[in-house]
Amino acid sequence: MTGIIFDHKELAVYDGPGLRQTIFFKGCPLRCSWCHNPEGLCPRPQLMVSHASCTHCGRCLRACTHKTCIACGDCVPVCPLHLRQIAGQLLTAEELSLRILKDADYYAAYGGGVTFSGGEPLMQAAFLREVLLRLPRVHCALETSGYCRPALFQEITALLDYVLMDIKLFDDTLHRQYTGVSNQWILRNARTLCQGQNPFVIRIPVIPGVNDTDDNYRQTAAFLSGAPSLVRVEFLPYHKTAGAKYSMAGMEYKPRFDPNRPIHISQEIFETYRIRSVIL
Amino acid sequence: MKERIQKLRDFFVLRREHHRFRQAPGDPGLLAADFARCRIPPQDRSAKRLLSVLQQEIPVIFPQERILFTRTVRTIPDLFTPEETAALKSTHWIHERGDISNINVDYTKLLYTGLAPKKLELEKLRNRFLRDCREDKAHYITLQIQILDGILDLAERYRLLALEQGNPAAEILSRVPAQAPRTFPEALQMFRILHFVMWCGGNYHNTIGRFDQYMVPYLTRDLEKGLYPLEDALELLEEFFLTFNRDSDLYPGMQQGDNGQSMVLGGRLEDGSDGFNLLSRLCLQASLELKVIDPKINLRVHRDTPLETYRLGTELTKQGLGFPQYSNDDIVIPGLTELGYAPEDACSYAVAACWEFIIPGKAMDIPNIEALSFAKAVADALETALEDSASYKAFYARVRENIRAQAEALCEKVKNVYLYPAPYLSLMMEGCCENGQDLSQGCRYQNYGIHGTGLAAAADSLAAIRKYVFEEKRISAAELKKALEQDYAGYDQLYTMLRYEAPKLGNNDDYVDQIAVSLLADFADALKGKKNDRGGIFRAGTGTAMYYLWHTNDLPATPDGRHRGEALGCNYSPGLFTRCSGPVSIIRSFAKPNLKETINGGPLTLELHDTMFRTEESTEKVALLVKSFMDLGGHQLQLNAVNRDTMLAAQKHPEQYRSLIVRVWGWSGYFVELDKEYQDHIIQRMELAM
Repeated sequence: MTGIIFDHKELAVYDGPGLRQTIFFKGCPLRCSWCHNPEGLCPRPQLMVSHASCTHCGRCLRACTHKTCIACGDCVPVCPLHLRQIAGQLLTAEELSLRILKDADYYAAYGGGVTFSGGEPLMQAAFLREVLLRLPRVHCALETSGYCRPALFQEITALLDYVLMDIKLFDDTLHRQYTGVSNQWILRNARTLCQGQNPFVIRIPVIPGVNDTDDNYRQTAAFLSGAPSLVRVEFLPYHKTAGAKYSMAGMEYKPRFDPNRPIHISQEIFETYRIRSVIL
Repeated sequence: MKERIQKLRDFFVLRREHHRFRQAPGDPGLLAADFARCRIPPQDRSAKRLLSVLQQEIPVIFPQERILFTRTVRTIPDLFTPEETAALKSTHWIHERGDISNINVDYTKLLYTGLAPKKLELEKLRNRFLRDCREDKAHYITLQIQILDGILDLAERYRLLALEQGNPAAEILSRVPAQAPRTFPEALQMFRILHFVMWCGGNYHNTIGRFDQYMVPYLTRDLEKGLYPLEDALELLEEFFLTFNRDSDLYPGMQQGDNGQSMVLGGRLEDGSDGFNLLSRLCLQASLELKVIDPKINLRVHRDTPLETYRLGTELTKQGLGFPQYSNDDIVIPGLTELGYAPEDACSYAVAACWEFIIPGKAMDIPNIEALSFAKAVADALETALEDSASYKAFYARVRENIRAQAEALCEKVKNVYLYPAPYLSLMMEGCCENGQDLSQGCRYQNYGIHGTGLAAAADSLAAIRKYVFEEKRISAAELKKALEQDYAGYDQLYTMLRYEAPKLGNNDDYVDQIAVSLLADFADALKGKKNDRGGIFRAGTGTAMYYLWHTNDLPATPDGRHRGEALGCNYSPGLFTRCSGPVSIIRSFAKPNLKETINGGPLTLELHDTMFRTEESTEKVALLVKSFMDLGGHQLQLNAVNRDTMLAAQKHPEQYRSLIVRVWGWSGYFVELDKEYQDHIIQRMELAM
């Protein structure tokens, strides 16, 4: 079984307990208007080009033999400034698990392990499952949108030690509007986490004018209230640099909100529900 | 930070208002001309020069100041005329400026005694020498007595001014420096005077050493007696830290900030316990609050260092100061012992101006006397032997020969060193005044340290040669040579492959990491057993100092995909265009060599993006990363919280970024005060920040 990833990050400091490595799965069913990892959306390899320092020497054009890009990578090695790369590496569950195991002892020694992020790792649930089964002694965490068939979600989370999951918007209509999907599965899966034993974190990307309302915070807090395994809520304030990689992926960044608007965060609301929160 | 300190900081560091009180620059050659005309011997010159500066000093006291002594004399006169200097250089190796630098004196030899009792001691010594008919030695002691008188005279002038202005420092100066300090405030004032005087004597890169160890008794005693609350001690310590930033623009150095005021905190004590104490913690806090470039903090750590100590250090890193720099006692102490330092001396090690490990009060080492170029060793072998080498192994043997030859040549080159006499420093070094002998003649240790530059460039080049020429045979030796001779013109594809796709040091890839292991072992081996002509040995190191730029002058393009003229990496670090897979890989790669053998010093430098320090928890994880390097056998580490965008903005609008601090090589400086060449090198380094 093969899967596709677009990055392997060492020393992720915001992805779970201890020192961790993070694997980024490629492909996501959501289309959040604020996404800062556009190369994580499409589940196939794609060409990424950094245009800023391009001198238009033309070597890449001469190397290309296709009408439309098929991400073959022929133009990558000819660029003298190394501005081109293929995002997306296909590999088997065995290959990925071996790669993770290479430094697993190091991370374990410092209280950590591996985190699977994306994209949406659950979009490749079968692949993820196979990788997890090969890592019985590694502390495994998942960073997810929670958008996944509930039965599958339960099956995967049973193999995990820690979950970081988004509740981006509590209102389903708004959720559809800004992410392209309903939040019904997400809330059901969040409920599963609330009732389970595994420690988990709920994350709220704070998007100006979209979900940074007291209403949204109150609904989310009420929903989470009393969950014994909830470690904390993390606010992820929107950064204006979110759009940086779109042009590299040949896409246009078109946020459907005003990125310059100041954001509103209320930790107090969560406090009233006795939920610890932190701003990242 | 208290308001008084904030005001002093603004006054001395931001507005630099005290510069107005400086005297007009003098002619540095006047005194030397006199000396030459009267045929004054060098030792006398050194004493007279210091005395002349002390006499010329005009006391100044600023509002709210409690720790006095500010330089008003701009020019430290030369000891020798240009002709004399040329003559000296024709027969001797003159290290840098000639004056003794980069050592750590044992301040307690004066601090714990007081200058007046010291004078009595010296007078007795003088009489003994006279009785023994050693008039030369008696005369030398007389020079030292004169120096002490000169210091006492200036201190008295300061006291009178303080009295006149109603400044409470007057009372402290009625005790010190004549008598040994009894309290922490007195000890700080006395240290300030001792340190101030060193610079007046032309000695530079004067390091502070294990300040927390020799000063903590005063603080503990005061607190036990309840003389003042801890917060007052912090306030005074902060004022004291500011004194290192008052006159530093007058100190000699390669760039503003390169002044060697390094302070060492913590570390194992002789009984094996952890020396990190109350004062160590206070020093970290003072540095954290002040955010100024001096003193430069070094933190000694070891197996039993609690994570909390690393965490405090990381809080400091988070400020972007480029320090603390960490050193690992578990590697450094055995490494130094192996080199022949007595175990108790090795245990007391401090850090020289940048990172070299030196022994306080006992070593007249010159730990930065020269540098070996790994990159040149490879480039030369490529030129002469690549085409004839039947295997990679054979080729590497030629590289090893070149390393040996370079080491040999360097050891030959640094013969007959002449150090300018330093009777004042000699008062604080073991055995000097007791024997009526100047420090320039030697001390317990007189070892020389040799840096090593271009380790990554060399290892990466060798890996590329091994892989593409010998194993995969993708390119012939002749073709590679031609490509390098043409600086890759017409070899685009080869260039991109070598520069970006070849194996690189720093990715936890044994293929190339083991080459670095060999290069360092061969470097250490090449110096092993060699003696310098002062009876000392040679120490191999992983530092570069400014040689990372100098050594590129005659270096051709290299097979790591480096163009001719491009810089080499700074210190012990990956190549400048290596895209490493992450900090963990870097740490694992760089912990592989047997660093006990290359223990002259030179840190692994890590650039971490400042977003990694956002929360307490993430900061603690960075602390764990530092600890992990030490756990894996690393010797020295220096990490920076960086933001490239900030630096680019600072280049554009320097006036808005006057306080932006960056690490350069062994020291931190204000970014906007650096030459553009250095600014650009740092920005290039940042591009690869993790």
